[in-house]
Amino acid sequence: MTRTMNMQGNQACALGAIEAGCRFFAGYPITPSSEVAEQMAAQLPKVGGTFIQMEDEIASMGAVIGASMGGLKAMTATSGPGFSLKQENIGYASGAEIPCVIVNVMRGGPSTGMPTRPSQGDIMQSRWGTHGDHPIIVLAPASVAEAYHETIRAFDLSERLRVPVIVLIDEVIGHLVETVDPGEAGQEHVARTFASGPAEGFKPYAITDDLVPPFPRPGDGYRSHTTGLTHSETGFPTQNPALAAAALNRITDKLVLHNDLIERWRVREADDADILIAAIGISARAAEAAVTKLRAEGIMAGLFRPVTLWPFPEGALLGVIDKAGAKALLVPEMNQGQMIREVERLVAGRLPVHGLNRIDGEAITPADIIARVREIAP
Amino acid sequence: MSSIEIRFSGSGGQGLITAARILAGALTGEGRHVARSQSYEPVSRGGLSRSDLVVSDDGADFPLSTRLKYLLILDAAAANASDGLLDGDSEVLVDAELVPNPPTGDFRVYSLPFTDTARRLGNKRVANIVALGALAAQSGLIAPDVIRRAVEAASPKRFQRLNLEALEAGQQMIG
Amino acid sequence: MKDVTQTPDFDINGYIRLDQMPHFLCPGCGHGIALRALLWAIHDLGIEKDKLAVVSGIGCSGRLSAYIDANTFHTTHGRPLAFATGLALARPDLHVVVITGDGDSLAIGGNHLIHACRRNLNLTCMMLNNEIYGMTGGQVSPTTSADRFTTTTPAGNTEPGFDACRLAEAAGASFVGREVTLQVLALKDLLQRALEHDGFSFVEVISDCTEIYGRKNDLGASPEMMMSQKASMRPDAYRNTVDVPFRPNALATGILAKVDRPEYGQALRAANARQQPAGKG
Repeated sequence: MTRTMNMQGNQACALGAIEAGCRFFAGYPITPSSEVAEQMAAQLPKVGGTFIQMEDEIASMGAVIGASMGGLKAMTATSGPGFSLKQENIGYASGAEIPCVIVNVMRGGPSTGMPTRPSQGDIMQSRWGTHGDHPIIVLAPASVAEAYHETIRAFDLSERLRVPVIVLIDEVIGHLVETVDPGEAGQEHVARTFASGPAEGFKPYAITDDLVPPFPRPGDGYRSHTTGLTHSETGFPTQNPALAAAALNRITDKLVLHNDLIERWRVREADDADILIAAIGISARAAEAAVTKLRAEGIMAGLFRPVTLWPFPEGALLGVIDKAGAKALLVPEMNQGQMIREVERLVAGRLPVHGLNRIDGEAITPADIIARVREIAP
Repeated sequence: MSSIEIRFSGSGGQGLITAARILAGALTGEGRHVARSQSYEPVSRGGLSRSDLVVSDDGADFPLSTRLKYLLILDAAAANASDGLLDGDSEVLVDAELVPNPPTGDFRVYSLPFTDTARRLGNKRVANIVALGALAAQSGLIAPDVIRRAVEAASPKRFQRLNLEALEAGQQMIG
Repeated sequence: MKDVTQTPDFDINGYIRLDQMPHFLCPGCGHGIALRALLWAIHDLGIEKDKLAVVSGIGCSGRLSAYIDANTFHTTHGRPLAFATGLALARPDLHVVVITGDGDSLAIGGNHLIHACRRNLNLTCMMLNNEIYGMTGGQVSPTTSADRFTTTTPAGNTEPGFDACRLAEAAGASFVGREVTLQVLALKDLLQRALEHDGFSFVEVISDCTEIYGRKNDLGASPEMMMSQKASMRPDAYRNTVDVPFRPNALATGILAKVDRPEYGQALRAANARQQPAGKG
């Protein structure tokens, strides 16, 4: 039984979250992400969840982490300046390993920028926005349907790996309405592993083979301590160099260990591509149309699209380049060159990497990409 | 898998987004995939407004307009805003009263009395539905009874009859 | 205070994490007395440790949560009320207590305090006011008294301070109280009433920072500082401070405001229930 419906990208994030089992949302109004909060305000009470509009962006991130500390799946949504304000608490969730999902609908910047206009200017902020070395997962859907399904996956990953997951969409995808088949509602999704067994001697941040310790839920008898200070396996602060390094390495290593769950990417006509385009979001949609048209005129173009943007699917990209014997890379993005830095780092000079950048508040079009590919075609 | 691009344009408050949403819903009900985008500005009333549909059989690669097949213009403010997206294959429907100077080019332009017809029906605010009827008939994308049911379903009870009359009047403009 | 109950059976060792001792507070710091009073009140109310959640921010006050044998959360600077709001809404079965300081709750976290007061969610917020940023080495805070020396007011403080209790009441807190650490029984009783209160309760504890603030201003050792705080108590001072916004030497203590207002969590849950589909939940 199909449930095909027309859905907005922001709405898809909200409905995907509800399907994933999100039962708490705290937010603050900001363009162009406010529809996520509005949808959650309307939908959460129907499933016994809680919505609260907090006094500011920082508070909404704090409340989401607080609710997750209580054991609920929790989410917030924001954009641009709000994403900047949330960064300190995102770092807390990363370090204290509190699952949470943050939708960031990218708009132009810096500062207030162009609030109603699309951008892909937070590619680096989503990875490095908070201070210090930290694990984080960033998913970058390129369609409304993918926004729905990737938001579900964001919760699955966040709860499984105890790491904040950012759903990174641009304003175009956020406000776009597309025909979506969300599939059957009420599916089983990943549930957090709560600590069980004796409280005596329990170590809330034990280094196990899985590298993801079970979560001690308040009220279950563990009475553990959670802190943003660097902590040992006991959960209490430590400045012992060996213990500090072990704790920090574990939270980074857990993403490496579970990379099979995290990594996701898509290709189009990449197998024999001379020119490989690497793009996310609306820029990837433009690239899809461009690839079809370029192939029709005999230019061997192809697309590599990271769905998981961070950790960047580096092995996959290099594999696709090698298999195709690609001669050049093109990275179209709505910023002055952010993802291209990661791509350049990975290919390390083995082939030329070209950029295509727009920062004028307009989406990159298929025509933009076609023109640029013609320029760089071997 | 080519797609068909349709733009509803005019000024804020003319019901363009409503008309586009009704057509999108009707097309989806018929198994088509529709990507709908709209101008998104800080003001809700006045100023240039538009809503675009990209209609395809199984999902458009690029969901935004690049070359309009059908362009509806309901206000002079939007008269030339879409010129770059028109070519010889485009068909432009403009309101005869509010768009005295429609765009010119090697495309076809139909100047039709949407606002005047709506006024005669008793409420010029249904000009958007008159135009929707004309656009549906002109494009042949959707069967008359399907768009009729969609308008009926989208209308508040007390506007149902007026809206259906408006739709029919628009459909009859295309012969 | 009247109605103070002596409960000789209270043993603080049953409520603290002995494996975290020795604690890191300086000798003479008033925060330990406040912690004892809080745990005593919790004991007398029979709150189960498993159902107790303590959320703290950053600063000397923030470190107290680690010493309490409960579900404890040491959060980010200024934000414990925001974290606690999410936790209390997610888990209405828990008893949520926030421990914060004057810098944590009145400066960097001021916005969260006023909105927590307005919202009236069932939380108890104990603010330890020692008039200084102790953890960072003694900088001026929003409650530092006039003319006092700190590392960032080398010529003496020229900024007027907040009266935190008046701020909380004006913002809508349904329970507001203040006590000095010297009167530990009165403080325990005040905290007990705050914990019992259905809604947001705010308790300012006049603590003392002997090592940094006391030394820098030649205020004497802990006993002298505490005695001078007690000597400054003036029960009629509250609401009589129109001309001078903050007079730290004129402390009103006890329960300063108590009103019955709808508790936010219950109101929200009732509103949510009305939106549930018929026949469900």
